[in-house]
Amino acid sequence: MKKRALKAASVGALGTVMVLAGCGTANTNGAGGSNADNSSGSAKTVAARQVAAPFPGAVPGLPKITAPAGFNWKQFAGTHLTFISENTPPSSALAENIKQFEKVTGITVTIEQSDLSTVAQKVALDFAAKSDKYQVIYPDPYQMLAKYSYDYVDLNRFNNDPTLPHIPGGLNDFITSQLQVDGYMGNKDHLYALPYDCPTMILFYRKDIFDNPKYKAMFKKEEGFDWTPGPNLTWQQYYTIEKWINQKVKQGVIKGVKYGAGAQAKQYDSLMCDFSNVLAAYGGDYFKAPNLGSIGTTNPGPSLMNSSKAIAAATMYKKIVQAAAPGSTSWDWNGLAEAFAAGDIAMAPEWHEFASMMENPAKSKVVGKVGFAVLPRGPVRSANIFGGTGIGISKYATPKEQKAAWLFIVWATSPQAQYMILKSKNGGETPTRYSVYNLPEIKKGMTPGTKESKEMPNLLAMKATLEAWKPQNVYMRPKIPQWPQVDSIVFTELSKMLANQETPAQAMKNIAQQSNQLTGN
Amino acid sequence: MLAPSVVILAIISIVPLFYMIYASLMNYTLNPDQPVFYQLHNWLSVLRDATYWHSWGRTVVFVVVGLAVELLLGTGLALAIYHIPKGRNLVATLWMLPLFVAPIVTGLLGRFLLNTTYGMYAWLLQCIGMNTDILGTTSTAMPAIILMDVWEWTPLITIIVLAGLQAMPEEPLEAADVDGASYWMKLRYVILPLVKRAIVVALLIRSMDILRYVDTILITTQGGPADSTKTVGYYLVQVAFQFQDFGRAAAIGLTMLVVTIFLGKSFIRIFARGEE
Amino acid sequence: MMEQTRAGRKRGALGTAVLYVIVVIALIWALLPIVWMVLSSLKTQAGMFSMPPKFLFKPTFDTYRQMFSASGGFGHYLWNSVVASVLSTAISLVLGTLGGFALARGHFKRGKDLSFWVISTRMAPIPAVMLPLYLMFSKLGLIGTMTGLVFAYTTFNLPFALWIMMTFFKDIPPALEEAGMVDGCSKFQAFWKITLPMAAPGLVATGILCLMFAWNDYSFASVFTSTATQTVPVAASLLVSQEGVQWGQAMATGTIIILPMLIAGIFVRKYLVRGLSMGAVK
Repeated sequence: MKKRALKAASVGALGTVMVLAGCGTANTNGAGGSNADNSSGSAKTVAARQVAAPFPGAVPGLPKITAPAGFNWKQFAGTHLTFISENTPPSSALAENIKQFEKVTGITVTIEQSDLSTVAQKVALDFAAKSDKYQVIYPDPYQMLAKYSYDYVDLNRFNNDPTLPHIPGGLNDFITSQLQVDGYMGNKDHLYALPYDCPTMILFYRKDIFDNPKYKAMFKKEEGFDWTPGPNLTWQQYYTIEKWINQKVKQGVIKGVKYGAGAQAKQYDSLMCDFSNVLAAYGGDYFKAPNLGSIGTTNPGPSLMNSSKAIAAATMYKKIVQAAAPGSTSWDWNGLAEAFAAGDIAMAPEWHEFASMMENPAKSKVVGKVGFAVLPRGPVRSANIFGGTGIGISKYATPKEQKAAWLFIVWATSPQAQYMILKSKNGGETPTRYSVYNLPEIKKGMTPGTKESKEMPNLLAMKATLEAWKPQNVYMRPKIPQWPQVDSIVFTELSKMLANQETPAQAMKNIAQQSNQLTGN
Repeated sequence: MLAPSVVILAIISIVPLFYMIYASLMNYTLNPDQPVFYQLHNWLSVLRDATYWHSWGRTVVFVVVGLAVELLLGTGLALAIYHIPKGRNLVATLWMLPLFVAPIVTGLLGRFLLNTTYGMYAWLLQCIGMNTDILGTTSTAMPAIILMDVWEWTPLITIIVLAGLQAMPEEPLEAADVDGASYWMKLRYVILPLVKRAIVVALLIRSMDILRYVDTILITTQGGPADSTKTVGYYLVQVAFQFQDFGRAAAIGLTMLVVTIFLGKSFIRIFARGEE
Repeated sequence: MMEQTRAGRKRGALGTAVLYVIVVIALIWALLPIVWMVLSSLKTQAGMFSMPPKFLFKPTFDTYRQMFSASGGFGHYLWNSVVASVLSTAISLVLGTLGGFALARGHFKRGKDLSFWVISTRMAPIPAVMLPLYLMFSKLGLIGTMTGLVFAYTTFNLPFALWIMMTFFKDIPPALEEAGMVDGCSKFQAFWKITLPMAAPGLVATGILCLMFAWNDYSFASVFTSTATQTVPVAASLLVSQEGVQWGQAMATGTIIILPMLIAGIFVRKYLVRGLSMGAVK
């Protein structure tokens, strides 16, 4: 018996070998040709009468998902889609509710979730193989869109097709800056993805420390300014507060925290993000070309990291990290959030969606004690880095799959789906749609203590986040094909600077020199 | 009988090998779907790359210290287990457990234990006045990564050497006893030469994998801080998957392959000498 | 299976005591993280994070319950891991035994080079061979399938099995088979009835090591699996997500990942040692 099983296995392996030897070259190449009509999108070509789609869960006050009269939502029934996404809350929430979509369309969807680097790796390999394994993709603008934009279908083609459903509420309902970053590359001729999630860094602080009248008065008396976090606080003051709290904790004056501040300064993407907030606040940026952070460019121009602004920012950042909690150099955003939730830290820049973790009693000792504000400003402005991503369609998918994928994207990025994601029990994520934030219920949730804020704790951070999204406050890193390498150069040199192997000026010079070498400038 | 294996091995080794050589001559950075001929640019850029050479330096530290500690500890413990009169099976079984914790989980566990907020080991260190962040400090991150590797893989050396000890013939030891040799002399002149082959096999197996497996680094330090744990294996992961520069990755991969083969050949040569 | 220690017959009580102390320290070093992992998996997150460490507490099995619930899907990952490791081990053992025997007995020109080539196929750095393998697998439609994963594991297990089985067979004198053939056995019968049973402990030992390599793999599984075929190490890596690390589940995963091996280890450890001691390391 056993013998036979083993033999069968070996025959199976041989079979594999034979198949390998005669490997076919059949390859479905979806229509990649772009649409000559480059309308900016917002459903100009609405001709047919629109009829509401049969999706459950429509919310009064939000634009409805509609389709031209007579549109058969089941015409792609039986098509199977695989959506590859980072393991983020919206994807978990979508996965929970995917039955809604499957029931209406008859399309089956597998949502495959991995960590971002694995997603990038799988997508790159899949593009290289010109395979259609993933029809729907979560293209991180910096790792998967800038370099591979021509591998995605131009969504304008579907959005302008009078026979298909269009983006509910139109493109103008997406947060403008996010649509530019997530959707376009190099120019606005083609729309590659629609905004899907939107983490943004803001300042988390402990209200029980900062609002404590005794501490507040003592600080004012000793340091001479009001320490309340908000748009007027500067990084210099942040550093002063950080040191002051450290000192008072040591003296036993302040209780309830261990350190003034924390950073996410692990040699990793988080370090670049953390530093970028300071860099942009000081008026610096990584490269010279215009539109770097919005629609992106393939030639970023010469590096600006050799500037005095960049050096000043690096000098300040180094001081801040060196006075921060000792774990800071091994924390990414997760480690920092855990330390903050454990009550160790008085203030830190962190992705706004960690608000729900702070308000979760199973994970946090600081429930109800966390305040949110835009990040401190530098000599030029307050800069809050944005880290969101859209959803796009692979051009290697078959034409039928592409249309099925379009239905999925229309649904997944619709205001009502974004609302559903926000309400998900899994913590949810904040919407990418203006219309959702205009709902009275959602506005209420942004005030601590309300019923809605308990239901959707991420909304607590939204007042500060909406402020952070204003064009004068948001920071978008360069969207260029070379970004993954530049990112690595930046966080590696910064890590050397923090380990005292390089001065801030040397580190900035190295970043400039290596980036220029990479981009050929 | 050999044919099926050879065919499979050929497919999984020769095809990728030629592909790597091909890829190393192509430029994938402009358009990864349609690489264009790039002459020797990838090779030159790798050889001129300071990070590449730095990562070899870190690799030498990681491999030499890691293998040495694993070898000494593994052999020492095999001897200890071999000599204890009771409980050998129990001890050996328990000692083997870390082998079955997947490296990725070992990394997670290391991160958990060393976290300054809630890590048990970090807490123990804080009790003796060590407040540094182990994985976030250049001087301690590499030792920590090495210790994770040691924790995971020393048992493999122990098991193999223990097997060698149990296969030792009786006569030489008895002869040594008759001669009144001390334990250290027996160890030096009788036992170690007899288990030499076991040690070499253990080393060969470990040296094949220590260069190419980077799971623990991947889930803990990711090469940092300040590149102190960036081994060439991890650098390759970065170039191949983060930068998606398959051409340069192929060139780096080929150089690693050459070094691994050289290491393997050297161990086999020692092995062969031991047999004669 | 172990006779009285031979080398240490004259050791005194003191020496024995020292040995036990060494062994106990080694075991603490090896087991403390594992014990802590198991304990942590039975705590709530708040309990897990509270320092100084607590060794006595009221255990909760919530994490496990959640992981094995329908939405947790952990049972499925476990099953994938078991199937992929066992199948690839089986394939590697069958082919490796046949090939190893042929390699040990055949008179090949440059036989040494051939056997080194065999083991060298296992040395290629994974990220560098990922692209060609992915292209091949993709053409064959193997990405994300169990067959693909088994085949990927076979790429590192087969060379290992082949090479190590060869060393075992080299240590078994060919004279025994020749005697069998004189008695009327075919060459294959002689191999099957005489040589293979003698190599059985070696086969078991090789199998355990192959199982371990496959069981522990992350690099291949992270690329070649999809949601449906995900293995336990991949599931473990996904616990580090954008919303924080799910430490409870991570610790529980670690606990579960060693359980089957612990149970198997108790049964097979002696074969492992005996098997290794007969061939490769003698």
